[in-house]
Amino acid sequence: MSSGYIAQQIVNGLILGSMYALVAIGFSMIYGIIRLINFAHGEIVMIGAFTTLGLLQYLGLPFPLVALAVLIVGAVVGILIEKGAFRPMRGAPQVTGFIASLGVSIMLQNLGILFLTAQPRNFSFPDYLQRVIQVGPVSFRSIDAVIMSIALILMGALLFLVHRTKLGMAMRATAENIDVARLMGININRTIMATFAMGSALAGIAGLMWGGKFGQIDPLLGFVPGLKSFVAAVIGGVGSIPGAILGGYILGLAEVLFVGLLPPIYSAFRDAFVFSTLILILLILPNGILGKGMEERV
Amino acid sequence: MKAKWQTVFLSIVLAAVLAAPAMGADTIKLGALYNLTGGMSSIDAPALNGAKLQAKLINEAGGLLGKKLEVIGIDTKTDQKAAATGAKKALAMGVVAGLGYGDTTFVMAAAPLFQKKGIPFVTSGATHPMLPKWVGNCMFMVPFGDDDQSFAIAEYTFNKLGAKKVAVWTDNSMDFTKALSKFFKQRFTELGGTVVLEDFFMMGDKDFSAQIARLKNAKPKADAVFISAIPNEAGLTVKQIREAGLTLPIVSGDGFDTELVTTVPGPKLANDVYFSTHTYREDNRPEVVAFIKAYEKEYKRPPENAFAALGFDAVGLIADAIKRAKSTEKNALRKALAATKGFKAVTGEITYSRPSGVPMKGVSIISVKNGKYKVEEVWFPKK
Amino acid sequence: MAAPSNRAWHVVLLVAGGLLVLVARATVNEYILSIINFVGIYIILAVSLNITNGFTGLFSLGHPGFMAIGGYVTAVLTFPVTRKAMFLELPRWLAGLQLPLLPALLAGGLCAALTAFVVGIPVLRLKGHYLAVATMGFLIIVQVLITNWESVTRGPLGLNGLPALTTLWWVYPWVAVTVYAAWKIKFSSFGRSMLAIREDPLAAQCIGIHLFKTRVLSLAIGAFFAGVAGGLWAHLVTAITPASFSLVMAFNIVVMVVVGGTGSISGSFVAAVIFSVITEFFRPLEESFDIYGIGEILMAAVLILILIYRPTGIFGSREPRFLVAKES
Repeated sequence: MSSGYIAQQIVNGLILGSMYALVAIGFSMIYGIIRLINFAHGEIVMIGAFTTLGLLQYLGLPFPLVALAVLIVGAVVGILIEKGAFRPMRGAPQVTGFIASLGVSIMLQNLGILFLTAQPRNFSFPDYLQRVIQVGPVSFRSIDAVIMSIALILMGALLFLVHRTKLGMAMRATAENIDVARLMGININRTIMATFAMGSALAGIAGLMWGGKFGQIDPLLGFVPGLKSFVAAVIGGVGSIPGAILGGYILGLAEVLFVGLLPPIYSAFRDAFVFSTLILILLILPNGILGKGMEERV
Repeated sequence: MKAKWQTVFLSIVLAAVLAAPAMGADTIKLGALYNLTGGMSSIDAPALNGAKLQAKLINEAGGLLGKKLEVIGIDTKTDQKAAATGAKKALAMGVVAGLGYGDTTFVMAAAPLFQKKGIPFVTSGATHPMLPKWVGNCMFMVPFGDDDQSFAIAEYTFNKLGAKKVAVWTDNSMDFTKALSKFFKQRFTELGGTVVLEDFFMMGDKDFSAQIARLKNAKPKADAVFISAIPNEAGLTVKQIREAGLTLPIVSGDGFDTELVTTVPGPKLANDVYFSTHTYREDNRPEVVAFIKAYEKEYKRPPENAFAALGFDAVGLIADAIKRAKSTEKNALRKALAATKGFKAVTGEITYSRPSGVPMKGVSIISVKNGKYKVEEVWFPKK
Repeated sequence: MAAPSNRAWHVVLLVAGGLLVLVARATVNEYILSIINFVGIYIILAVSLNITNGFTGLFSLGHPGFMAIGGYVTAVLTFPVTRKAMFLELPRWLAGLQLPLLPALLAGGLCAALTAFVVGIPVLRLKGHYLAVATMGFLIIVQVLITNWESVTRGPLGLNGLPALTTLWWVYPWVAVTVYAAWKIKFSSFGRSMLAIREDPLAAQCIGIHLFKTRVLSLAIGAFFAGVAGGLWAHLVTAITPASFSLVMAFNIVVMVVVGGTGSISGSFVAAVIFSVITEFFRPLEESFDIYGIGEILMAAVLILILIYRPTGIFGSREPRFLVAKES
């Protein structure tokens, strides 16, 4: 195993990890504010991917316009889901929201199969995003660099928003205690809606990236990002945005390195290794890596 | 207000559900078991489309034995439990034969129930060569066996592509892909080649960068890589291998028989890919041309993959047997099916002459160059 | 609340259940029978997960993992010796062993329970979502190991051609046993300590409840019944593959527990019936109009509607009034 080989594997892990991190940020954000494990998050990734496909490939709109449209579509779908499914059961035990999100997820998946068929579709990005960049022994594509920087920029923007703006303050207050926040004159419904809109817009953009990175999308693609963002967010410490990003990177690195650095026969055991590692991390840090020690009950 | 809407909604659903079974008069019923939702749906849904199309064409031409042919599609949700109940449902509806599935594990949950009742079950796409042995005399296969398709591509890789050292990638989560790799390695080493690297992935994987880095670093270098995958991973692997700058030939079986192999990587990268598949793609036999035309007319799109043609053939095969048996009685039908000889299916001629029960069918070797498919040769099993 | 259960009603329900089984066997076709069988298995799964998830509040997604262990153990034990030699490479003592269903089921259940102890001791330190991810990890590890342990499990192909031993007379007595056990636990002092842990672990500890022991035991009891359900499942489908025991199944069972009401045995029972029948109910709609997937969409709609109107599930944490004797 040469050092170039190992460097390449680490870069591959980081690229995959930033993909997971990108999805996990929005997930973690929604969780942080209303303590909702939102499995439908992955379906918004799927919707974002198909919106991109429709606008970019079939209508031929320019790329920046498409990205903007995907942000809006993601936000709108997020708001609709919040209004239709989650708002009526606000105040219910956390697990109720989780189960409802599974319901939303099943619904969206099957609507996708119904209207789009289950056939995977190819998804091609403009050439400048597909270029291969060679740095020493390591190669990656321009889209990977874009994904990585977007994940980092978004993390910065969100941290700024949550800690430095009025809306962010309202969000944190709502997260801390809904009733007290309401008494302080914060419009709870609007704050939660804004959170959903932002988290879901991020999921939409993640869908655009997901399609661009892998080049193929189908109506069931949301399951994997939904699951990985859940795992990433939990490993990082639920509710912590930097934690979600860290969790995403750990997950991506673990998935690539267990295949890349162990003898090939162990590739088949990858998921067992990955989850053993994650369980080990949790046993050492029972509240995730950056999570606060709070008594959570689902 | 809300309660009222609920009542309206529920009564509509109830009415629809109750009204549905009232339809369907005296027809010849075939139970088509497919996973139309869930992970396998991209493979199984086109097969049901093909099956329904064949029934429609037969009915337009006057039906069978003076009756209409009815294909009842039963969704088994990529779930073995649903496969078992679905089979029981089909049997309870009084089907004369069952058909279905593009994957062995689901056939093994459904077909034995047909066998127990003595009613024939025809799999349109499951390719494990032991299937008829495992299930019994009511089990019939439309496609060739995995051994045939693997042998075909192994011989092509060794003899025509001149590859003496190969790497083998296997989707470790499926029986089909594992069987395919096993037979490929068997024939390739028999021919004198060596397998220099074996690697694994799981169905649903999107990122193959670790496997690719290892393939790049393999010592000795592989002359070709055999990828045992289903259509969902076919385009992704080609794209990522080519993007990593590897130009070695990529070979595979009928899992690669999908447009995704060319559309996902794009014409520039879809190069030097070879796969063995059902004699159907780029073929100009009249059956094939007619099928593609009818499919495009019915569904407004070309057949999604070879499973569509196989589903079409499954119903054709059963209809042919019914015609010859002049009856839908289960024993007569089973005997007629077993006696099938030279049935001109879209995916090649079907004759059940082997003791294994697997049809002797030709295997196409398709090459992909600059995003274009071409039939390189048609391979026939020796026995 | 610590009142004894209302015996008369229980006997009535048990007899009614027995009669139903008799009537069902005599009248309906095999398709309906198999649905009734699966309903029973799902009742066992939901009620047993309720012991872990509902009573003690351990958010476990690992139930299908225990089910898989029980299913495979049972299947290997009942597999005819002649076929074993053909398909599997087993150690000598196992290769020559073929058990009737009951001991095989018990062995399957015990193996699952034993695994629960081994897994539970480290993992049950975790809480909430952290436990959910850890148990999900357990499920995935079980799946990977089964997929790769070819000599015993035949990998992704799974074991098939199992004897079709599971009948209503096997499933429903087990349903009765499961429900009875859950009921006894819920209305015992042990059950009280479980509920106390769920409501407030700190307070529970203060009044002298052994937190850890109770948690591990509730996981193991749930696992035992899941293992039995796995065995029944295997001999009903007559085939068992690692892919069957997926995360999707874990979600399905959790849905039943939550929709029924976390902690309510009757709730799990009713929700298991609803959700295993509902998609079959929509089948004719799908099949005659060629719109596959609509059943799932309607099911999800029903699920969300129930949660909107009953956010704590159909029965909350309680049992229907008539089943519990009045407080004196």
